[in-house]
Amino acid sequence: MEEQQKYARLFNDIDSQALITLGVVLLSTVVLIIVSQRGLSWLGNRLHGQVRFRIFALVPLTRLLILITALAIIVPIIIEPSLRNMVTLLGALGLAIGFAMKDYVSSLIAGVVSAIELPYRPGDWVNIEGTYGEVKHVGLRTVDIQTPDDDLVAVPHLKLWDHAIYNANNGGTSLQCVASFYLHPEHEAGWVRKALRDVALTSAYLKFDKPIIVVAEEKPWGTHYRIRAYPVDPRQQFLFITDLTVRGKTVLNAAGVQSAMLPPDAALDARNAADASY
Amino acid sequence: MGEQPSSADTPLWAVVELEQFTTPEQTQASQWRRSLRSASTWLMGKNSAEQQVKEENELRALPEVKLAHLVPPIDWAPAAKALAQQLNDQKAPVAFFITPPHSGHVAVVSQWAEAHRFACLPSPTLSELAEGDTQWIERCASQREWAVPALERYFLRHTQGIQGVREFLERALSGRLGQGVIGCDSWAYAYLQEVIGIDGAPVFTLQSMEGEQLSRYFADIATHTGAPPQVYSTRTGNQVLAKTEGSAANKKAPPKGENKELQRLAAHCRGHIGIAWHYWRERLREPLSDDEKALWLADALAEAELPPDTGDVATLVLHALLIHGGLDDHSLGQLLPFSHHEALNARLALQRKGIVTSCEGRWQIAPLSYASVRQLLESRNYLVDPL
Repeated sequence: MEEQQKYARLFNDIDSQALITLGVVLLSTVVLIIVSQRGLSWLGNRLHGQVRFRIFALVPLTRLLILITALAIIVPIIIEPSLRNMVTLLGALGLAIGFAMKDYVSSLIAGVVSAIELPYRPGDWVNIEGTYGEVKHVGLRTVDIQTPDDDLVAVPHLKLWDHAIYNANNGGTSLQCVASFYLHPEHEAGWVRKALRDVALTSAYLKFDKPIIVVAEEKPWGTHYRIRAYPVDPRQQFLFITDLTVRGKTVLNAAGVQSAMLPPDAALDARNAADASY
Repeated sequence: MGEQPSSADTPLWAVVELEQFTTPEQTQASQWRRSLRSASTWLMGKNSAEQQVKEENELRALPEVKLAHLVPPIDWAPAAKALAQQLNDQKAPVAFFITPPHSGHVAVVSQWAEAHRFACLPSPTLSELAEGDTQWIERCASQREWAVPALERYFLRHTQGIQGVREFLERALSGRLGQGVIGCDSWAYAYLQEVIGIDGAPVFTLQSMEGEQLSRYFADIATHTGAPPQVYSTRTGNQVLAKTEGSAANKKAPPKGENKELQRLAAHCRGHIGIAWHYWRERLREPLSDDEKALWLADALAEAELPPDTGDVATLVLHALLIHGGLDDHSLGQLLPFSHHEALNARLALQRKGIVTSCEGRWQIAPLSYASVRQLLESRNYLVDPL
């Protein structure tokens, strides 16, 4: 009997007015979250440059603020917010979570951390455990990544705890692209370097306030050249790499510079190296 | 480059070093206003114009004959004289004179060269540029005193197309070609500065004009046939032009604040007289009834604007046109990273919207769209001109 009274003191009396208030708060929260998330995403998708990323960064932050506000309103309606009551409730919740829903709640907490630390935000190009693509949505539990093949991959936020997050543009408009050229060893390296730099300088996609670097690396089968440069917009990265590659090949072919003929094992190594350079 | 204080005593034509160029007062506010209007048009459809004192349907465009008297073509001779004064003290082998599109660098440098008996060098042909042929530089080497009125005609943005201008500028900047003056579009200059690097050479430009200077200028050019006309703003109903008294030399500028409409125009055009002249010519109206003699300036800025969601293809076309000071369809197709028909479609769409116009066989950004195109390209991190 005494135990029953103790739990009764933990929770407030829920009368019809409290129920209506709870309903209104919950409904408003859901509506606000949907409107803010869709509205900000809609707006961000139609903007360009740095403003786009600032709008996108607001998406998870806005949701977090709405949720915290809703909790701050709801909790005092349901329970008497004394220290003892909170400890009791959180202890019970902790036990339940620890046994049954550990990963789910871990992802939720990581979602809160991601909204504050911003390791990724919509519009960023990230690589998480080999999944490379553009962050389309940062949800409560997962982050949705759209790959270049148009797959939408939902990655749980809990990867934050123990996996490296590679962010190619980190909330900005600068994303380095790499175009590779594998050339036969018999060529004038200085001329090739200048020609490849000109290829980058004459690209319509080039962002001029970032450096252009041509890297040459000698291999047993020839020389591996990489143009490292930045497109005006991160979304142009594949078009930019294609433009550099196509025009680079044209210039090199016109000058009689031959591509390297790679033995099968070297070709495999080169492909792995190219994948790793993304 | 900040904003300059206005002064009624400032000469109309001033050639200054590039570092001294300043945009007119309220340029930043003008950009915000343009962004706001563009966003509201985009969100809510075609927005209604601002409150008008005089409705535009009560007005009509001026006939060409009347326009030719009231707004004759710009005489660039004063600018050429101002350039000559600056160049008198110059010892460098090459000096640049740059202006934005439609702002007269070709005319100014040509007139300067004619007055100083400098030979204007012929530009290379398109085939020479396309093949990377540098023989045309040898033709230039025969002159020891020379001028290039339009450097934007000396290159194309591809690997072959920049070789000639690179060699030409290397020789010219080192003094091996003698003494020269190069006129260049400000966008082409910005591009060549990045691609070739032309630091060290003195660079001059026309100083921007404030609203008061525009008022004086438009009043001056309209007085060839007598007293300047009375021009009122359809937006505010206020008189726009400076009231002249006697000769041009004695004209008194109105007190500060009376040139709001033209200050708005100056800020919108970043103070470039060439662009402002086009606005003035295009937006002058007369009443439908023949009883009224006063002229009206229709809302000067309600012109072809680019929506914020303009696609990448259109943006790349606009940027290519600006960097080259205009291009024909064939060259445009060669310089863009997509097929000729895509480039042609994008150009046609821009032409239908009035964003690009044809001039001497080349497609250029229309003067009345220049401000919004520049702002769009800047907002998307494209390379923009320094003016």
